[in-house]
Amino acid sequence: MSTQNNVHETASVKEYFAALWAGISSTVIGMWITFRYVWAVKPVSIEYPEVREVLPERARMRLFNDVLNCISCTQCAMACPVDCIYIASEKLPEGSEIKKTSNGQAIRLQLNQFTIDTALCCYCGLCTTVCPTECLTHSHDYEFSAYTIDTMKYDYLAPDIIAWRDRIVKV
Amino acid sequence: MHKELSDLINRNVQGANAVAFIPADSKKFDGSITVEASHIYKVIEFLKNNKETSFNSLHTQSGVDYLDYMEVCYMLTNYDPTAPRNVIIKVKLTDRVNPTVDTIVPLFAAANFQEREIYDMFGIKFNNHPDMRRILCPDDWSGWPLRKDYIAQKDYNGMTVYPDDKMNFEDRDFIVRQDMIKKAQSEKAQ
Amino acid sequence: MQSRWDIGEPIKPTLNVDTEKLKSELLVLNMGPQHPATHGVLRIEIWTDSEIVAHAIPHLGYLHRCMEKHSENLDFRGVIPFVDRLDYLASMNMEWTYAMTIEKMLGTEVPRRAELLRILTGELQRIASHLMAFGTYALDLGAFTPFLYAFDYREKILRLFEEVSGARLLYNYIWIGGLWNDWTDDQLSRVATFCDEMEEEAKKYHDLVSMNKIFIERTANVGVMNIQDCLDFGASGPVLRGAGMKWDLRKNEPYSLYSEFDFDVPVGTGEVGQVGDCWNRYIVRMKEVVESIKIIRQVMDKLEPGSIMGKVPKVMKLPEGEVYVRAECPRGELAFHLVTKEGAKEPYRLKVKSPCFTHTSMLPRVAPGQMIADFVATVGSIDIVLGEVDR
Repeated sequence: MSTQNNVHETASVKEYFAALWAGISSTVIGMWITFRYVWAVKPVSIEYPEVREVLPERARMRLFNDVLNCISCTQCAMACPVDCIYIASEKLPEGSEIKKTSNGQAIRLQLNQFTIDTALCCYCGLCTTVCPTECLTHSHDYEFSAYTIDTMKYDYLAPDIIAWRDRIVKV
Repeated sequence: MHKELSDLINRNVQGANAVAFIPADSKKFDGSITVEASHIYKVIEFLKNNKETSFNSLHTQSGVDYLDYMEVCYMLTNYDPTAPRNVIIKVKLTDRVNPTVDTIVPLFAAANFQEREIYDMFGIKFNNHPDMRRILCPDDWSGWPLRKDYIAQKDYNGMTVYPDDKMNFEDRDFIVRQDMIKKAQSEKAQ
Repeated sequence: MQSRWDIGEPIKPTLNVDTEKLKSELLVLNMGPQHPATHGVLRIEIWTDSEIVAHAIPHLGYLHRCMEKHSENLDFRGVIPFVDRLDYLASMNMEWTYAMTIEKMLGTEVPRRAELLRILTGELQRIASHLMAFGTYALDLGAFTPFLYAFDYREKILRLFEEVSGARLLYNYIWIGGLWNDWTDDQLSRVATFCDEMEEEAKKYHDLVSMNKIFIERTANVGVMNIQDCLDFGASGPVLRGAGMKWDLRKNEPYSLYSEFDFDVPVGTGEVGQVGDCWNRYIVRMKEVVESIKIIRQVMDKLEPGSIMGKVPKVMKLPEGEVYVRAECPRGELAFHLVTKEGAKEPYRLKVKSPCFTHTSMLPRVAPGQMIADFVATVGSIDIVLGEVDR
């Protein structure tokens, strides 16, 4: 049942030196490979804060909702597997003009709240695929650590977050 | 295949009462063989040791709760490149309070952890199991999580593990932000 | 019925001393949950007799995230991000198996290009996973540099996956019915260059680690799992193949388009040590990398432009039934047991058969009689990922 692996039989002199030679030669081969890296191979690491990698186009980082294009359809909240999107909306008051999104859909609801709990978000991207107006997108921001978990909730109707729009949304 | 196998079981194991379930669309669904819970050890022993259709390995065991009864599924497989075959053997347990079924650990050592997991998740006790403890949940956890009528315990060792409202109501509260948007827009226009 | 798990019974120390006089007893040692050699949060209670392991009892559940219960409340598409997190080093294979499970029930026909690209991503992921296994295994045994070389090449695969899917580890890329995004020609040509480089690199790894005398001394004849044990415990993947069994689901019960491909199934031959030991399990993984490269090259030849998404209903409702689907993942055979109810939007029961869970249950069988350092080598050689063990 148990494995007996620590039993070393007594080796003959020939075997002893053969093993010694195998040990030395295989170590030298390995060391040679490692030593070649000194001059033959360029370093692959990036010195992070100074040098930044260019992210691929599809990279999924922090979510951004362009509230001016949002029609409050709540499809993203339904698709979200971790329920981190909170949406509140109501009917537009009577007689108010109906705006249109950039791809021509009418905004029939007044969006009162659009909050994403980024600490809960799992960056799966399911919400962005169902969005009919493509207002909910993954931006390329990845440095947003915070001291408290409360500050990880982004209210996309707050003016400071709306201001990101100029930077993120490519019209 | 299920029909022949269930006939074979019925012929060789007395009282096994094997019933083959063959789905209407066998391309889409898998069939199974249901046997008496009291005879499961003998059935698995027969399937392991017979000459014609032997199964040399237990792939996994799975439990399913259908509310009026519970099922333990035994996925048997034959690791043999010349004759690969799989079968699902099932037992039905109608007792929800104290469900028990014989262990098959003496036949397949793989069943040790799998049966512990089923005990952990469904509360099905396996008779003669050498080490019947919970495996994934803590030892002093109460309730059987994968049962359909399971309600998680609220407190565990002084910690609130299942609060009344998991939603973050502060965020869901109605906050009018329209004035702030207008302000931001006017600032931008200027 | 006699118990084969004599953990609770009194143990006779194997030392050659008068134990009555010395009052010696077994020492209980806790390995983990935060131990670098346990690859995650595995806790193993080791009963040692001087430096020999008398018993090893794995304690699981430190990474238990209730994935099976969660998935009962999610729609079929929403389960995919959770499935990703099972084996976080081989997410593509996890997604693929799950997608196959649902597709079997739906009867969806996946377009040819999507199937081929699935094989491409699956095999690339297999290489990435085996590179990780190679690097961390060398790290377990005290060699630091192979880890860095392996990560360099793994990074190239992850970079490709990031460009294609948008994420580096948890992709959500293989969807039910097809794929999220298509690969561009530029990316495919980079895969081709990667294959050429990787082939050279694999030879280097053999010189660096596989044939190193110190490595052989540490792994050969250590932690022997013979075929009988493997079948008894239901082991699969490199563990079963390392024991000399020529069994690969891709070859023996081909799923997807694997029947069209020409590749070998490497098995442990016992060149060094005996069949079924740590070295053989390791070398099977390294040989599989080369086989995967072969498959990827064949995929590149067969690829033709076309659609990548099959016809899938927008609101997914499955018929009532039950299905059990297996697939060959880097660590062994993954399987999903899915039970659905008529017209339900979420699984009624989704059981994950994880290969690592099975392999962890083998540790109490292998451990007795080993030195503690050899036990670390054994745990490393089965290449467990705790995300999959605990689910």
